[in-house]
Amino acid sequence: MPPSPSQPASQSDQILAAAKQWRQQIPGDLHEHVVEAIYGQAARIAERSVSSPSQAARPTFDRSLDHILTSKLWGFPIMILLFAVMFWITITGANIPSAWLSWLLIDQGHSWLRGIFQSVGSPEWLTGFVVDGMYLATAWVVSVMLPPMAIFFPLFTLLEDFGYLPRVAFNLDRLFKVSGGHGKQAMTTMMGFGCNAAGVVATRIIDSPRERLLAIITNNFALCNGRWPTQFLIATVFLGSLVPAVLAGLVAAAAVTSVAMLGVLLTFLVSWGLSRTLLKGEVSTFSLELPPYRPPRFWQTLYTSLIDRTLFVLWRAVVFALPAGAVIWLVANVYVGGESLAEHFIRVADPLGLFIGLNGVILLAYVIAIPANEIVIPTVLMLTVMTTGLQDVGAGTGVMFELQSGDAVGQLLTAGGWTTLTAVNLMLFSLLHNPCSTTIYTIYRETGSAKWTMVSTLLPLALGFVVCALTAWGWRLLSVAPG
Amino acid sequence: MNHALPVVASLIAMAVVFWPRYGLWARWQLAQELARRIRREDALKHLIKSEANGRVATLNSLAGALQISAANAASLLEELEERELVTFEDGRPLLRPAGRAMALHVVRAHRLWESYLAEQTGVPELEWHPRAEEREHLLTPEEADALAARLGHPTRDPHGDVIPPPHGDLEGDPGQSLNTAAPQTPVLITHIEDEPDTVYRQLVALGLRPGMRAFVIEKTPSRVRFWVDGNEQILAPILAQNVFVRPLPEFRTEDLVEEEFLSGLKPQARTRVIGLSPACRGQERRRLLDLGFVPGTVVEVEMISPAGDPTAYRVRGTIVALRREQANLIRVSSKEASDR
Repeated sequence: MPPSPSQPASQSDQILAAAKQWRQQIPGDLHEHVVEAIYGQAARIAERSVSSPSQAARPTFDRSLDHILTSKLWGFPIMILLFAVMFWITITGANIPSAWLSWLLIDQGHSWLRGIFQSVGSPEWLTGFVVDGMYLATAWVVSVMLPPMAIFFPLFTLLEDFGYLPRVAFNLDRLFKVSGGHGKQAMTTMMGFGCNAAGVVATRIIDSPRERLLAIITNNFALCNGRWPTQFLIATVFLGSLVPAVLAGLVAAAAVTSVAMLGVLLTFLVSWGLSRTLLKGEVSTFSLELPPYRPPRFWQTLYTSLIDRTLFVLWRAVVFALPAGAVIWLVANVYVGGESLAEHFIRVADPLGLFIGLNGVILLAYVIAIPANEIVIPTVLMLTVMTTGLQDVGAGTGVMFELQSGDAVGQLLTAGGWTTLTAVNLMLFSLLHNPCSTTIYTIYRETGSAKWTMVSTLLPLALGFVVCALTAWGWRLLSVAPG
Repeated sequence: MNHALPVVASLIAMAVVFWPRYGLWARWQLAQELARRIRREDALKHLIKSEANGRVATLNSLAGALQISAANAASLLEELEERELVTFEDGRPLLRPAGRAMALHVVRAHRLWESYLAEQTGVPELEWHPRAEEREHLLTPEEADALAARLGHPTRDPHGDVIPPPHGDLEGDPGQSLNTAAPQTPVLITHIEDEPDTVYRQLVALGLRPGMRAFVIEKTPSRVRFWVDGNEQILAPILAQNVFVRPLPEFRTEDLVEEEFLSGLKPQARTRVIGLSPACRGQERRRLLDLGFVPGTVVEVEMISPAGDPTAYRVRGTIVALRREQANLIRVSSKEASDR
């Protein structure tokens, strides 16, 4: 304000001084008082001038349903049952289309495409690079990933649309509160069991910044759909074979469940630790709206969940699988000094791998299979064949494959130097390692921060190394001591 | 080769130590310089606060406030005099204009930073003061102004202290302490003194905040029993001395006692919101306002989670679940609301 000696200026000075004096007397933030007054006034106006038809403020149906779904007696059993059924439908329902896609894209498509390349006279390296590398990796990801997601996501969205999921958050919030998280983290974790990338996107429902970051960083501890097959295969082949055949299935299932439960436990522990250290200063506000129930719009839900979630995730996975396939083929086929790049890496990484109860092949597989957890086992098999020099199995250097019977997998891996410890640690490492590149990219897109992306990537990896090393150490201690 | 290695190694070592600006020596010197500046600024802060509160700053009070020896305090005052920040009158240190401006900026930066931590971060309350103690020496006056603008030019920090304008005077601690308040007279808590830290921690642990309404129930030489925001509290007079209040002539004690908190509401009971507690700040406060927890709104307990917490409330036709700590921030009337 320009100073002026005239009368009006001194008057305005007086007004300013008075305003200042009044402002000093008002406790708290002036802006909030204004906001509060506006809300209050708006409410009073609405109350006077808006009339609503005389009906119950809330349908009795909603009220009784809520009383069952959130009751002390029925709340938790109903929740567990619903999700168990959902996972069962997903796993059993996905088997058939998965097998069909695998037959179409891998068994038929692969050799058909190879045939075309050979018939036009393409050189062997180009065929290998494009068909055995890029095409095969992508086909693998699509055939394993697509069917479970196409079943799981619509089911999940239907429950969401119906209004049940907020009730789950309501029931479970106490648990998450202890670890510093938000009840809605239960939903994003659940989503993570389908796909971590989708789980990370789903954290948008959490509006409190700190709790959202927690949910993003810990989402990787939900064992995703791409890792379940690895768990089941290794548990069946190595752990199931330790006990009589009758119990084999039970032991394998118990082992996989334990790993998944370990993931849930770590979700809580890591949330607890992070909210007291790294995330201490982040803003945290809790609120959870419980919308009224409504009949789910079936076709619309199906359509949007297929487009928004399934295809979105699949597209990103394909984008990352193409170059990964190329890399997988290249490391097995580019020779430096008489050895392929893969063999060089495996030789260097083997001491570290063995120290933490794994081996160089597994470490390399996890490095080059970053784009998708689905291709870890095929890559491990291919690399094991390459390093052991077995002649009668496999589909050629740099070509991923799968074996029809579990026994064959067991024989091949044992030949590659695997022990029960290797199997147990692979299961642990499969739970605790960096998220797949699709998820990492999604985390970056959602947080917009390189720092939090690094934390979400490296934290599980570091945990994986520590847990595997400890397991190996304890294992050796126990297995040496009795002898 | 054999001779080159030690030479290269010692060259690298020299570079690591003596490199301008980034070397260890340069960094160490910078750190020393910063430590000296912090000490000077803390001394100036002590002088301006003593002056504002009508106390006389002495060598001993300075040594006590900065927790240094009297000899160190003396050399510190000498240094301030050399820099023309302080002058002496009858042996007592007095601020010169340059010293006053510097001290005012430090106090302003401190209180602004506390406001920032309270409003825009989730940093726990007990860390506001220690963090601001560090940050006050690092903010430039321009940064302090930018921060003030970003916070909407707040007039008071979260402890109820007045944030001084860039060029002005520092106001003393506000009036009356809880010790001297008359019994059965409604008062407003205006300020919680954040020094010494141990006392402040106890007051925060009791949930006392500026902006809360209170009245003294009874006073004896050994304790002060008082009502504050729905609860009865007892403090030793030495603690109560750090709680500052001003009278609330527009209220009667009966009006205050009628208030309770949403967390105390029984299932299926309904009542009216009176307001949000001052302990509810920043985003949390705006969120609750957005959800409709404004004065006059009718609230009803709808259901309780099977785990015991949170509780779902019906407010303005929607159902919103709040945790117990949040429901503890919403003041409601103890009278049953008939209907909207």
